[in-house]
Amino acid sequence: MTAYFAWLQNSQASAWVRAESPWLWPLCETLHFIGLALLLGIAGLMDFRLMGFLRSIPLRAITGFRNWAVGAFGLNLATGLVFFTGSTNQYVVNPYWWAKVGFLMLAGANAIAFETIIRRSSSETFTTGDTPAVYKCIGALSLVAWLGVLICGRLLPFVGGTD
Amino acid sequence: MAFLEWLQSLPFSVWVSESDTVWGYPAILTLHTIGFGVLVGANTVVNLRLLGVGRDVPLSSLRPLFRPMWVGLTINAMTGATLFAAAATEKGTQTVFYVKLTLIAFALAVLLRIRRIVLNPDARPPGAGRGLAAASLVLWIGAITAGRLMAYLH
Repeated sequence: MTAYFAWLQNSQASAWVRAESPWLWPLCETLHFIGLALLLGIAGLMDFRLMGFLRSIPLRAITGFRNWAVGAFGLNLATGLVFFTGSTNQYVVNPYWWAKVGFLMLAGANAIAFETIIRRSSSETFTTGDTPAVYKCIGALSLVAWLGVLICGRLLPFVGGTD
Repeated sequence: MAFLEWLQSLPFSVWVSESDTVWGYPAILTLHTIGFGVLVGANTVVNLRLLGVGRDVPLSSLRPLFRPMWVGLTINAMTGATLFAAAATEKGTQTVFYVKLTLIAFALAVLLRIRRIVLNPDARPPGAGRGLAAASLVLWIGAITAGRLMAYLH
């Protein structure tokens, strides 16, 4: 792993990101923030609905927003990889970056769990109204995970680095 | 300029900009990001719905989203004012900062009109609000871009 990080930091791609940084870095940051709002908005809507709020929204109808959330996640993964490629050695020594990755994995595992559960449930169930306890847990866990991603991501340039 | 210098020299402003703890500038900036995500995220969900995404979600069922939007706005007005005070002479002389504030003002004006449609969808023809939703997305993307550029254009 350490060897891979060193290789990436010394790669041409990494040098390119740093050399292009007068415009590439701010552009990717802007896209990263646009993706953040989109992802937090849709994930937050899903999570609160799963927790039993917003009961007049048919639970299944929210899946109509799913592709936009996936698109926003793809945008933030791509721009995040640009940051990581450009400054690998700064991120891998930062515990807040590792915490962010951990929260991302929690959010991902949680989303997969939810998709599995909702596929198994019959189509008549949970259109509007209250949700079962397992949905509430999944929603709360997801909300905590995404907030963890945001907080760690925003704090990591200020704390935990080697600068 | 004298006002900006006075604002920046207040003990609280100095603490925000110079405190070594995470509870100063980094925490306030993080709160600003959360408030932004809540306000713009919820607004974006409503915009997408008005533009035809998630059609099975009744427009009226999105009414409860406006309260968190106002909470996000309040958080960001307060944290934004604090972040401004901590670097008043720098931000107060940046053109792009005033561009950001102007775009936010327009985005909020559009949001109030969108709110009228969501609160009373039956009074409008189907498809009403598409233009407002598109304008809202453009204005928020502009505000985000201007906000990001504040860190780069000095």
